[in-house]
Amino acid sequence: MEQTIRLSALADRIKETLEERFERETFWVSARIMNVKKYIANRRCYLTLEEYENGTKLAEIRAVFWSGAYEEIEKFENAVGQSFRDGTEIICLVRVRFHILYGLNLDVLQIDVAHTLGTLELERQQTLNRLLRENPDSIKRIDGVYRTANQGLPLPLLIQRIALITAPHSDGLRDFQQEIINNRHQYHFEITEFLTTIQGENAHNLILEQLQQIALSASSFDVVAIVRGGGSLADFRPFNQYELAQRVAHFPLPIFTGIGHDRNQSITDMMAREQKTPTKVASLFIDHNFEFENRLIDLRLRLENSISRQLDRARESLESARRLVKLASPKAILDRGFAIITLNNKIIIDPQEINNKDEIKTLLKDQIIHSTITKKTIDEKRFDL
Amino acid sequence: MKKDLTYNEAFEKLQKILSELESGKIALDKLAANVKEAYTMIAICENKMRSIEAAVKTAIGSGPAPPPNA
Repeated sequence: MEQTIRLSALADRIKETLEERFERETFWVSARIMNVKKYIANRRCYLTLEEYENGTKLAEIRAVFWSGAYEEIEKFENAVGQSFRDGTEIICLVRVRFHILYGLNLDVLQIDVAHTLGTLELERQQTLNRLLRENPDSIKRIDGVYRTANQGLPLPLLIQRIALITAPHSDGLRDFQQEIINNRHQYHFEITEFLTTIQGENAHNLILEQLQQIALSASSFDVVAIVRGGGSLADFRPFNQYELAQRVAHFPLPIFTGIGHDRNQSITDMMAREQKTPTKVASLFIDHNFEFENRLIDLRLRLENSISRQLDRARESLESARRLVKLASPKAILDRGFAIITLNNKIIIDPQEINNKDEIKTLLKDQIIHSTITKKTIDEKRFDL
Repeated sequence: MKKDLTYNEAFEKLQKILSELESGKIALDKLAANVKEAYTMIAICENKMRSIEAAVKTAIGSGPAPPPNA
């Protein structure tokens, strides 16, 4: 048998060899991160870097972010807008390490955030292009803005019956309810909660299921609100999924989103009516109803004005009728100097009815003149009165 | 009166009465009845807008209980 060597001695030799070869060198590696375990308290993250080709794993090496590099993860999460999680493709700067107890490890020193951003943006653009291509009737891009059938749905005069999709016990749920319940106009609302996980790998499918539930009783609701609180890191990846965005664009009820990320707009936001935060969605509903109330107040004022105008008009026409009647009365005519001639108590209109020697009565203002006709002539200037 | 009207119908009716009223199409003897109806329509809309308290229905949600998230 050949000479044996202690394991620790072998490990030492491997370590020395690797250090000699790799100690002063770092590498930019492109890999998929898996088995991510973050220890936030002591700012460390253990993971594996893996490479796949057509679904087959080609390589895997354990890696670690020590506390000095942990802020790279935070920078990544803030810039990319999603958590540093399994399945993400990254490019990172590593150094090769060998520890005699723990074996081979890559120390991650830096992450190429721009690369990940670029990849995400590319994916996002591909999804948007597919939405346009496969739904030409319901999704359009006009002057750089996406217009969907859902955004075109008319809103009811009052928004009251709300189907609310959100996570149970979440800030988003609480903020939304607070705003609605404490609305200072005391408008009436009915909120039906459709609770589900709204973050994570399968979130978009769970949200789709809730939308399906709502669609089954669409006539019971005025609108749908999808909300999630802001504050901590908001992963908007579920809202960039084609299937969810497509369903939202076609959904039969107007959808409002308040999924809480200021810098990024998800594709689902672009297909719906976007309001950024749960509170903003709720206050939009309240404002909408306030607008209705204002219209109602306006109509009531117009009604009151119209009634008083109508009554004024009626009074005026009554008054002018009275004046007319008064002017036309025989008494008024006699008062103005005209006379009425009667023969045998019959008012004479046609002078042909009067003959010589007839006894006529002439009715003046307050006296009657009795006369006998002695002569009749034609008045040549009768229009010169 | 027509309490079973939806507020939508009531609002439309109100607008119709008002436009007739404003164009002077309503005869004086019908004025009182129309005004009364208009106020009923307003009341229907106002009742719809407010109720004693906002109702929150029970959760229907499915799916696994997620960690409380933001």
